[in-house]
Amino acid sequence: MTSNDVRDMLDLPGNVGPRPAKKQKIAAPKSTLKGLAREVQSLGGDNPIAIVPEVTAFKKRRFASRKPAAKWEFKPFKNSARKDDLILRHWRRKTEAPPAPAGQDGKTEQANAQAEAEMDDSTFAKFNVRVKVPTYDDEQYKLYLQSEDWSKDETDYLMGLAQDFDLRWPVIWDRYEYQPPMPDMEGVEGAIMTVPKTRSLEDLKARYYKVAAAMMIVHKPQDKMISSEFAMYETMLSFNPAQETARKKFAENAFHRTRDEAKEEESLLLELKRILARSDKLNEERRELYARLEAPPSTGNIGIYSSSQGLQSLLQQLMTVDKSKKRRSLMAPEGASPAPGGSNLLQQGNLDRRDSSVRESMSVASASNGKRGGTAPGPTERRQLTEEEERTYGVSHPTDRLTSGPLFRYEKLSKPVTTKSTAQQMKITNTLNELGLPPRLIMPTADTGVVYESLIESIIRMLQYRALSDKLSGEIAIAKAQKAEKEKRERAARGEPEPGAGDAAAQEEDHDDEVKVEDGERQKSVAPSVKSDNAHKRSASVLSSVSDKSTKRQKK
Amino acid sequence: MASQPLSSSVQPTDVYGGDEVSAIILDPGYSSVRAGFAGEDTPKSFLNSYYGVGADKKLVFGDDAIHNPLAGLEIRNPMAKDGTTEDWDTATQLWEYAITSRLTSFKQADPRTNGLNDDLKDEKDVDAEMEGVQEGEKPLEEHPLLMTETAWNSTKNREKSIEIAMESWGCPAFWLARNSVLAAFGAGKATALVIDMGASTASVMCVHDGLILKKSVQKSPLAGNWLSSQIRSLFSAADPKVDLVPHYMIASKTPVDAGAPAQAVYRKFDNPPTPSFRALEEERVLTEFKESVVQVWAGPGRLNSPTQAGSTNLDFVRSQPGRVFEFPDGANRMWGVERFTASEGLFDASAALPIPSEETPVQKSQTIPEMIKASISAVDVDLRAALLQNIVVTGGSSLLNGFNDRLNNELITMYPGARIKIHAAGLTAERRFGSWIGGSILGSLGTFHQMWISRKEYEEFGVSIIEKRCK
Repeated sequence: MTSNDVRDMLDLPGNVGPRPAKKQKIAAPKSTLKGLAREVQSLGGDNPIAIVPEVTAFKKRRFASRKPAAKWEFKPFKNSARKDDLILRHWRRKTEAPPAPAGQDGKTEQANAQAEAEMDDSTFAKFNVRVKVPTYDDEQYKLYLQSEDWSKDETDYLMGLAQDFDLRWPVIWDRYEYQPPMPDMEGVEGAIMTVPKTRSLEDLKARYYKVAAAMMIVHKPQDKMISSEFAMYETMLSFNPAQETARKKFAENAFHRTRDEAKEEESLLLELKRILARSDKLNEERRELYARLEAPPSTGNIGIYSSSQGLQSLLQQLMTVDKSKKRRSLMAPEGASPAPGGSNLLQQGNLDRRDSSVRESMSVASASNGKRGGTAPGPTERRQLTEEEERTYGVSHPTDRLTSGPLFRYEKLSKPVTTKSTAQQMKITNTLNELGLPPRLIMPTADTGVVYESLIESIIRMLQYRALSDKLSGEIAIAKAQKAEKEKRERAARGEPEPGAGDAAAQEEDHDDEVKVEDGERQKSVAPSVKSDNAHKRSASVLSSVSDKSTKRQKK
Repeated sequence: MASQPLSSSVQPTDVYGGDEVSAIILDPGYSSVRAGFAGEDTPKSFLNSYYGVGADKKLVFGDDAIHNPLAGLEIRNPMAKDGTTEDWDTATQLWEYAITSRLTSFKQADPRTNGLNDDLKDEKDVDAEMEGVQEGEKPLEEHPLLMTETAWNSTKNREKSIEIAMESWGCPAFWLARNSVLAAFGAGKATALVIDMGASTASVMCVHDGLILKKSVQKSPLAGNWLSSQIRSLFSAADPKVDLVPHYMIASKTPVDAGAPAQAVYRKFDNPPTPSFRALEEERVLTEFKESVVQVWAGPGRLNSPTQAGSTNLDFVRSQPGRVFEFPDGANRMWGVERFTASEGLFDASAALPIPSEETPVQKSQTIPEMIKASISAVDVDLRAALLQNIVVTGGSSLLNGFNDRLNNELITMYPGARIKIHAAGLTAERRFGSWIGGSILGSLGTFHQMWISRKEYEEFGVSIIEKRCK
């Protein structure tokens, strides 16, 4: 029942326009959303849901594109890389020439025949690449390729293998089983069956390259080669089987080395690299250090540094200087002192490196123990140095009491000098100057230190004796003068000499002898200790000259 | 589907070098024959190498036929123990069965000419067509054949195989490839050290650029079947002794506790099957045992070697949970350390269990690590690093649990300086059919077309061409 019927019944004026029109408006979008269920669509209310229903068009599309199913054919083809004409078949899309409608047998057969006539070549034929192995004839072989070690037959065999295996040398070597031909015609040599030689890979390569290079030059003179050809020619000529063998041997050794060995080698190489990288810097530092050592000795009092506190402050001072210079170089020479902090670490680093490089007599466990020992040294854990090492590192076990705190070696050396009076210091310096020695040792090692010490000692002794002899000769002179005066007076009084004065002179004479003997003893005691050390010849000779001079002076 | 064919300029020829000529790949082995079309990922035809000879001397092939407990069914294998073919007559039939039963039995001819759609009017024509088919009754006339062989195959055998392919099967083209090379190809490598653990033979060899290095070929019988005999020794030495009863003997069984004797009703045969049949069926049980229980000690070290804690690895294994295996008769027990000892002989000759039927004990040189060592040392030193980085493990017996881990450990201790990389397919099928898959790849390559030995060449040079071409 529509509203029109109701209106009809109630006699109301009909034909109300706008309503149905409105309804139609709503219906319009509905029709587009065909695939959506009504319930789902109503969820959206006034706003239409923005879901585009999928258009299923299986049948439509099939009938729309009026193409028949794609045609494939089991198409024969040949391969131009083959010498025989083997015809293989593969499935291919029929692309060219719209296929003849089915049923007309005669026409299809004709098409097939046509296809067979112009059979297409395999697209892979172009990948058939063969190596070019040098070729030669008998004449050329005789002219260029004669070899004591290789017969022509074997050379041919090698070339054949090279061709077969496309110059894959490991395979050629693997399959190389040359059997010399059975001597059938040459009855004379037939009795001797030559045992085929076992050829190494390098032998094979050497022969091949030799042949290849020779034939290359035959076919094309050297001056006509293009650069790549010439490069190849050069490479082939320069093939050195011995070197290759050595390399292989080395590679084999490297192959068999264990992981630990490899690791150690790696670390050593790394260290070497580091050393090389630092060597320039190190050299510069050393030069600077020498310059510093040769500088005139500071006149300032070093007494304040003899206590550990003073030394600490010195270190601080130096560090600040270092920092201001933006360089840590000064720390290295100072490393000898047991100052806390960086230098200690550095020392430990040295120890570690030494540990790693010492191969024998150190198991892994003990090595790691030793490393820990650096930070917390226990009496048992500390590494025991052998005598040789002690000498190398200058470790000494002094028996005399040392003053507490660090003691520099040059300080120890200069002590006997500095304790003297300035006049005597001057004298010592003068003597040293006479000997051509600097007042302070440049390189105060333990050995030179010992020798230097004894030298200073003997100089001081010598100076003492000289003073004594001066004094004595002065006394003698006085005594003589007195005696002469006395004699003069007595002669003047009696007119004859007196024997008593001769006694005194003889006594003096005796004393002088004693001094000489003593000095000779000194000389003896010093000389052997010096001469035993050949490493310091310079100081030894200097010392002997010193003693010579002192005796000379003594004689004077 | 309805898209336009790609024009030749767009076709990605540089990526995919395939050009299939519907070649068939035949990969015969000691335990199974794999055959299928080139370009597919698994062989369509998988056939047991064992065949049955019935009481009436009729040969039966395939798993459907040979596991039937018939009286007088003799089970044989045409392959020799080293994986080469021994009985050529039967082998030919077996392979033909493998090919025709699944691959080429129904030859689809063009529907326009095969006569099926023709009116019965021109019956004469149909007859002529059928005659034509009869004349060329050779199974492989349309298919080039790619066959595999072992690396130690004799020249005689190789010549025989091309003869069969060309004469009996009528192949248009033929090729003979080494199965190890194909296994390497299957793993996507041309240079590799291939470790092939088959049923009758384990082999190790180096492959360089798709060519085996003959000096590096190593083989030993320490493979799947040897492992079965180890398990047999294990069963006879176990306490209580394990009685191996195959499935066909059991009529019914009742569940029993672990270690308790079996309570089963056995079938009675008036004419009991032959011992060879029983051996085959026992082997199936052993295979199941191998698959589910046996494990290789994964390392580090050997099973008997001491650990850092002062005990041996054996003690550690004892502390691990065992595995239960139920035999066909219902008897079941826990297998603890024994499941490791059975396979340890593969790696450690001194740990191999004695096999009563064999007098000579396992040689050290037969174990896998020693074979690898020998193989590697027989090649040029420049190749070794590359080979150790491309180790391909293939063959069904390599699926033993823990095999690859152990292999890796052994190699690392053997070559501490070298980089070792083992490539073993994760999928069981890829491992078992490794060489077939490689053949499938090779046979479908466009560049392989020029390699085939064609019928024409065969007719020109005779069987000797196989030695000349397939190196």
